[in-house]
Amino acid sequence: MPEILLDVRSLTHRYAITGKSTLTALDGVTFQIRRGEIFGLVGQSGSGKSTAARCIMNLLRPTGGKLLYKGVDLLDPKQRRANRKMLQTTRQLIFQDSGSSLNPRMTLAEIITEPMAIHRVKSPRGSMRAEAELRAKSVGLSPSCLDRFPPELSGGQRQRAAIARALCMEPELLIADEPVASLDVSVQAQILNLFRHLQERHGFSLLFIAHDMSAVRWLCSRVGVLCRGRLVEAAPVPELFENPLHPCTRALLSSVPLPDPRRERERQLEHFDADTLPSAGTLYEASPDHFVLKED
Amino acid sequence: MPLLEVKNLSVSFDTPRGELQAVRDVSFSLGEGEILAIAGESGCGKSVLCKAITRLLPDTARIKGGSVTIDGLTLSSLPERKVQKLRGKLFSMVFQDAMSALNPSLSIGAQIAGAVRVHSPRMKRAAVRARVLELLGLVGIGRAADMYALYPHNLSGGQRQRVVTAVALASGPRLLFADEPTTALDAGLQTQILDLLRDIRQSLGTSTVLISHDLGAVARAADRVAVMYAGKIVEIGTAEDIFYDPRHPYTWSLLLSLPSRAERGRQLRAIAGTPPTLIDPPAGDAFAPRNPWALEIDYEQAPPMFRVTDTHSAATWLLDPRAPKITPPFGGEGHA
Amino acid sequence: MRHTALLWAKKLLIFLAGLLVLSLAVFCVSHAAPGDALTAYYGERTEKMTPDERAAAEIRLGLDKPLPVQYARWLSGALRGEFGISFMYKTDVLSLLRSRLGNTLILGGAGFALILVLAPLLGILCARFEGRWPDRFICRLGAVSGCIPEFWLSLLLIALFSVTLRLLPGSGAYCAGKSGELADRLEHLVLPLTVVVLSHLWYYAYLVRSRLLDEVRKDYVLLAKSTGLKPRSILFRHCLRNIMPSYLSLMAISVPHILGGTYIVEAVFSYPGLGALSYESARYKDYNLLMLLCLLSGAAVMLCSALAQAISRRLDPRMKGDFSLDGEVQNDG
Repeated sequence: MPEILLDVRSLTHRYAITGKSTLTALDGVTFQIRRGEIFGLVGQSGSGKSTAARCIMNLLRPTGGKLLYKGVDLLDPKQRRANRKMLQTTRQLIFQDSGSSLNPRMTLAEIITEPMAIHRVKSPRGSMRAEAELRAKSVGLSPSCLDRFPPELSGGQRQRAAIARALCMEPELLIADEPVASLDVSVQAQILNLFRHLQERHGFSLLFIAHDMSAVRWLCSRVGVLCRGRLVEAAPVPELFENPLHPCTRALLSSVPLPDPRRERERQLEHFDADTLPSAGTLYEASPDHFVLKED
Repeated sequence: MPLLEVKNLSVSFDTPRGELQAVRDVSFSLGEGEILAIAGESGCGKSVLCKAITRLLPDTARIKGGSVTIDGLTLSSLPERKVQKLRGKLFSMVFQDAMSALNPSLSIGAQIAGAVRVHSPRMKRAAVRARVLELLGLVGIGRAADMYALYPHNLSGGQRQRVVTAVALASGPRLLFADEPTTALDAGLQTQILDLLRDIRQSLGTSTVLISHDLGAVARAADRVAVMYAGKIVEIGTAEDIFYDPRHPYTWSLLLSLPSRAERGRQLRAIAGTPPTLIDPPAGDAFAPRNPWALEIDYEQAPPMFRVTDTHSAATWLLDPRAPKITPPFGGEGHA
Repeated sequence: MRHTALLWAKKLLIFLAGLLVLSLAVFCVSHAAPGDALTAYYGERTEKMTPDERAAAEIRLGLDKPLPVQYARWLSGALRGEFGISFMYKTDVLSLLRSRLGNTLILGGAGFALILVLAPLLGILCARFEGRWPDRFICRLGAVSGCIPEFWLSLLLIALFSVTLRLLPGSGAYCAGKSGELADRLEHLVLPLTVVVLSHLWYYAYLVRSRLLDEVRKDYVLLAKSTGLKPRSILFRHCLRNIMPSYLSLMAISVPHILGGTYIVEAVFSYPGLGALSYESARYKDYNLLMLLCLLSGAAVMLCSALAQAISRRLDPRMKGDFSLDGEVQNDG
């Protein structure tokens, strides 16, 4: 089994709302991402997917738990300072809406090579321009786009630019938070193809956060299901889709509308009431590599 | 006679760079109690089409030609004052973003009540309240009396969309336009809202035009489907026609690009390229440059609508008797 | 219950601390500024004083002590409600203030009330006829008159109405001996009031206009329209209602702003209000008077912003005890 790149152990995060009341976004979430795999994190909106991504990127400080990335404790300020450069260059994040996550006043060339400029990395291609051109080409952007600004481009082109930017530091862990949710169907397919192609070429690990189950089924090798901030099931993709054990997973799978009218008219929505989740539970291995949350 | 009849409708926007032809010569009709989905990607003109029919276009848009008839009334020749009297009563709309479609500083009861009073200004207070509660029940909001005084931000996304639907149904319209009503929602809630549209059709006989880019949603709710590309309807037919026996290469490409149709480990069949700009659209078939099945004539002359069956037609030269025979990636199942 | 009491106590403490810091700042700045405080008390006589006389005068006014001691003395007096005497007027500053405050409140209050009512009316008119001639006309007029400085506009009006046309008085709050006559007071109020209103009105009218236009473009307007509601009803029933909390809270914050505007107008029209007084006190280093006036303005600013907060909390349902039925977290996918 390949080496574990990221180890998330009972990660908990509570948002303070007003005064004393808090909202638990993540509650004891445990999963591992192995080197070179595409791990899907799925769940309804509000299940804590993005919170998890932000904690892993150190954009939020979790209330509890442990985060080990390449053996470095991400929640220990000392270790973080000692490995600052490594942590900043080898972890990269791609957002859902690159319309707002790319600076509208920078050209694409500047955007793509900005991480290198920040970390004062010399481009092996000689100039930053040559680097930007190569990166653009590798994500299927024409070099003519490089002098344009994000608002002039389509959503698909912007998402490609965001991917090129993330990849220019040769990351080992790429986190993509709903990267195709705001794109059109035909463009979604382009970007999903691109993710798989790039992953095969560069061999990075990808944490793919999505609510579209069919995209996850096509792209990911393993998947974790979040429900109200709890990880209720984690398994390899074929296993999870064929043999979903937790009712929350089953509800999630049954909810996806498919382009098949006859099936759709038959399909019954499986209901799962998140309030029935046990307050305490542990993951147990139902079959090899297939974990389910079980009440203590 | 169909409830809604749209004939040769064309809508343009005046932009600094020229005239943008958002809707080009669109014709279709909708029967009583029918749900028609207009499917297509962003920028294909489906939303503009809907706003053009209901005359809710912004000032920069111009209706260049064509006619819209609802229930025998030719809407396109009526003055705005008259159309406004029909809105809500004859036809109504549901929008994508339920959070912004509701007034944040009015309670949901007050907003629905406001919509009820528009066409029945003399209704007694108690009667209005009863009607609001009835509407809340109709759109599947339980404990309606408790919900009456809540504000939009107190509700979940799905409940908000139900409230928006209740506002739209307040004066008992015969025709409902739903513009991407499920886009902002989770899959489970999407299904619930789509089912709500079908339930309403069942209980009230309301006809619905559902606008969506999500083919899964379309498959769940629609009786008939129109596929739009670059401002035109390229294919129209029953849901079975479109999903099991599609004839237009764009419909094929859309269906093929879905991850749910793809095998794991195989490339997704994405559509190469991007849609054309609708300022100076291409002369021939707008989809030709992205179409692996394109014929030479596609680049020169726009194809007319070819009839496949009584319910099904598509605008592609492949259906011309003179066209070379190709092996379509779909078909057969629908006529089995 | 105990919770709210604590909250109020906290607010009061912050308020008092704010006043203390303000008094210290004003004290330092006014003493650091060049000038001779004795001039305020003794006038031109100061120049002819011998060094001995000067020293005696300074001791009499308490100006001989080091600055920290002077401040401590002022503070201990202030805490007992004694703010000292005015060097210029040689009377207790509080009673001086009392005699002038009413005039300023009449001018500023009337100006504020007029702006409060007129700005939304103009804004609505503009929004209703967006891009058409009423909107364009009002916007142009506002742009021109909003650019004219207050003192210049005042002089213009005085030159026109009181010097050339002799229609209205150009200075003071009332004619000698007629301080009790309402008509006379109103007559004196017309010109300064016009300046106060004209110089602030446009800003708030534009604000209402742009807020309304933002609202008009929101989806709920489209939904309201699609239920058949008339555009005018949508504007009043939905849009206006939504901008009111932010408009009112903004107006509450602007109370000191508009009052501050009257200070300049008062100075030009020699209107016996706080404006003229504060101008003089700063110019002649009338420390005690200056301190009190600054504290008063500061208190007004703080109270008004508290009022603004309270208004938006009271009127906007989104600010009231927040809960959501599905417990979803914002910004979370």
